[in-house]
Amino acid sequence: MARPSNFPPPFSTRDYVTEPTDPADERIEVGVLVVGAGPAGLACAIRLGQLIEENPEMAERFGEVPVAVLEKGKQPGSHLLSGAVVNPRALRRLFGDRFRMQDLPSYGPVHGESVYLLTRRSALPIPPPPPMRNHGNWVFSLSELGRFLGEQAEEGGAMILPETTAQKLLVSHGRVVGVRTGDKGRNREGGELGNFEAGSDLVAKVTVLAEGTQGHLTGVALDRFDLRGAEPQVWELAVKEVWKVAKPLDRVIHTMGWPLRTGKKYREFGGSFIYPMGEEMVTIGLVVGLDYRDASLSVHDLLQELKTHPKIRKILEGGERVAWGAKTIPSGGFNSLPRELHAPGLLLCGDGVGMVNVPRLKGIHYAIESGRLAAEAAFRALQRGETPASALSSYDEAVRDSFIWSDLHEVRNMRQVFQRGFYVGGALASAMTMSKGKAELGKMKAEPDADQSLIVTDRDKSYPTPDGKLTFDKLSSVFASGNKTRDDQPNHIRIERRVPREVAELWTHMCPAQVYEVGREDEDGTVIVDLAPSNCVQCGAITAKGGRLTPPEGGSGPEYTVT
Amino acid sequence: MATLVFLESHGSELQKGSLGVLAKAASLGDAAAVIAGEGARGLAAEAGTYGAAKVWVCEDAEVAQPLPQPRVDVLAQVVEEGGYDTVLFANSVLAADVAAGLAARLDAGLNWDLVDLELKDGDVIGKRPALQDSVFVDVGWTSTPRLALFRAGSFDATPAGGGNPETADVSPAYKEYSTGVQLVSQDAAESGGGPAIEDADVIVAGGRGLGSPDNFTLAEELAKALGGAVGATRAVVDAGWYPYSAQIGQTGKTVSPKLYVALGISGAIQHKVGMQSSGTIVAINKDANAPIFEFSDLGVVGDVHEIVPKLTELVRARKG
Repeated sequence: MARPSNFPPPFSTRDYVTEPTDPADERIEVGVLVVGAGPAGLACAIRLGQLIEENPEMAERFGEVPVAVLEKGKQPGSHLLSGAVVNPRALRRLFGDRFRMQDLPSYGPVHGESVYLLTRRSALPIPPPPPMRNHGNWVFSLSELGRFLGEQAEEGGAMILPETTAQKLLVSHGRVVGVRTGDKGRNREGGELGNFEAGSDLVAKVTVLAEGTQGHLTGVALDRFDLRGAEPQVWELAVKEVWKVAKPLDRVIHTMGWPLRTGKKYREFGGSFIYPMGEEMVTIGLVVGLDYRDASLSVHDLLQELKTHPKIRKILEGGERVAWGAKTIPSGGFNSLPRELHAPGLLLCGDGVGMVNVPRLKGIHYAIESGRLAAEAAFRALQRGETPASALSSYDEAVRDSFIWSDLHEVRNMRQVFQRGFYVGGALASAMTMSKGKAELGKMKAEPDADQSLIVTDRDKSYPTPDGKLTFDKLSSVFASGNKTRDDQPNHIRIERRVPREVAELWTHMCPAQVYEVGREDEDGTVIVDLAPSNCVQCGAITAKGGRLTPPEGGSGPEYTVT
Repeated sequence: MATLVFLESHGSELQKGSLGVLAKAASLGDAAAVIAGEGARGLAAEAGTYGAAKVWVCEDAEVAQPLPQPRVDVLAQVVEEGGYDTVLFANSVLAADVAAGLAARLDAGLNWDLVDLELKDGDVIGKRPALQDSVFVDVGWTSTPRLALFRAGSFDATPAGGGNPETADVSPAYKEYSTGVQLVSQDAAESGGGPAIEDADVIVAGGRGLGSPDNFTLAEELAKALGGAVGATRAVVDAGWYPYSAQIGQTGKTVSPKLYVALGISGAIQHKVGMQSSGTIVAINKDANAPIFEFSDLGVVGDVHEIVPKLTELVRARKG
């Protein structure tokens, strides 16, 4: 049976590691270079601004541009998507008495919650399992929070460079010295258009990779410095929509069960979330582990199906979809964390290295906390004027002493147990939570998502036909993501184009943005995969399932605003 | 309102889009026009038939080539000499550059991508589509001169009769930087004759339902019979069936011809936003559930390969 990992993409991390190539006087020099304007990267930039403000004598050591943040989207927030019910712990630490939670752009604290086990027609309320209790947490739009954090970072003196991708890792004498940004204005064949703009070398004393899930250079760095952890990373794919609704929703809701199948052979692990965003909006999303096997599974279409459930239809009735988006979530947890979170000149933060607590459905506060700790480590190193390889190891120590480490350790086997099927997995997960992670349930090995052998069912035949009101097709959803990527740019998605039909079907159904299509069949039964890369919303699922996403031209992709 | 319209000419032909803007301006009051380029004087009378009471002409060597900056010099001079408080442009690569340059030169406000203009209690109000063309917003100016750039095909270029406009020569002192650019070479865009899709009254567009690149001849022949241009969807451009220059939609061109014939096009929203303001939309598609039927004026559920050749034949017969 075909496995996607048997058809590796034409991609080598070596192509993305280089010495600086611009002449020395043309390189752009910054103090600390942060890649990614998400919660981790912006928390890092904000904390650095605070530290420089408190220690003005250090400003000189950071140079003319003390902190720069690269962002591939149109602006901070453009590529941010999450639930998001946020544990306020890290935000409080980051801002101290500068802001209260009420001052942040949120939809308020969680007031009540329900968990349902769904079947096609019924919804059985179950008591929220301990890890899913959200009392004291706050509802946010991560995209909105990203914009706010971006403003704070800029106010603190950081320079944000939007529409700029980090294409290559600059490594000199075994030490990371910055990144090379991506070219702009190339045509499909790679030729230079009239508005061509070559990338440039951004040289930094410390580089912080805070790229989020499936971070391009994070992946490159993990290989280059041999940092990969005990277990391979695995991912889940989330597709979500934001709705303007006729009547307010009074609590956060999670569901398990339908439309996912519980049989062990399907390996369908996941659930949905439905959160109120104030009185007028509701966000609804479905999360599915990418270790599923059925090539006909489409998370986007399952979300459409979910909305037809009587219980959920009632919430959305009379409303209107205002946004859509998709993103992967690293879910390997503790055992998949890199061996070390630093390399010479380099720090790694947040979702990029998998700081996500899957049973609690939380990661944003870990991202923020890790960004803050990275800032402090970078600052300390610069304060002491240190450059040796070990200068940044205090970051690893700080992370190990933080709640990131203890939280993730506690739930370290949670994700893997669901390989045993939904019900057995559920029971084991409860046992693990009750015992605060002390119950040793045997070593459970995670397999890469792309290693799962595929089956093909007719699951796709029962997806609802989009009606344009409650249920939507993929293309109109891509439109709702704000994506208007230039079509004639080079393809940024690396896949093996000639694969067995079930692999092509897997990608076609999996992709929420309709990037892949099963093309012409050859005599030997393999098919050619056709690509529409400009549809891509950079969710990262393809990297989990046998391909490799690289950054497209800066400014491409979705333009999320409320996701 | 003292209005000046920038008429774009190439060779000895006035661009239809700019004549449409002139006709609109003339319907609101006195309108003057400016033509810069070789043979400008000879075009003044034609401008008159579209409602220009006065035509400023410039045939200086500096404006012989289709470059923006010398035209900014010409317009700045005309605005000053004629005391115009409103300057209108029809969008094109050249006109957009000239409009932007003039806005900078005169420190004037430029409203971009308008589709209509009206006078309301003495105020000039522009209409601008927003949020992917789902709403129209009223826009105004806080100072004069008011500059506006209109989307292609916003107005019909209908001759209003008249003619014999007053003409005046203009020859500004060109800025040194305005004449510092030379046109080195000019290549024709990859298209097989016929009108450009931005200007065409009729567009026949093909989608994946055509089945193969060869079948684009169906669209080309129907377009030829109707005197129109050929457009294409992103899917077929992506697949290499037709050049990018013909792509209509969100990431291609936005068009509003009088007649839009969609052959084998499903009507994804990405396509719709590029052509929804067309006059009459005719769709032929064998999938009765295709979204295009929701916004077409005339929908035919059927096979393009059977219907289009017959349609082309009938159009030819009717036209003789």
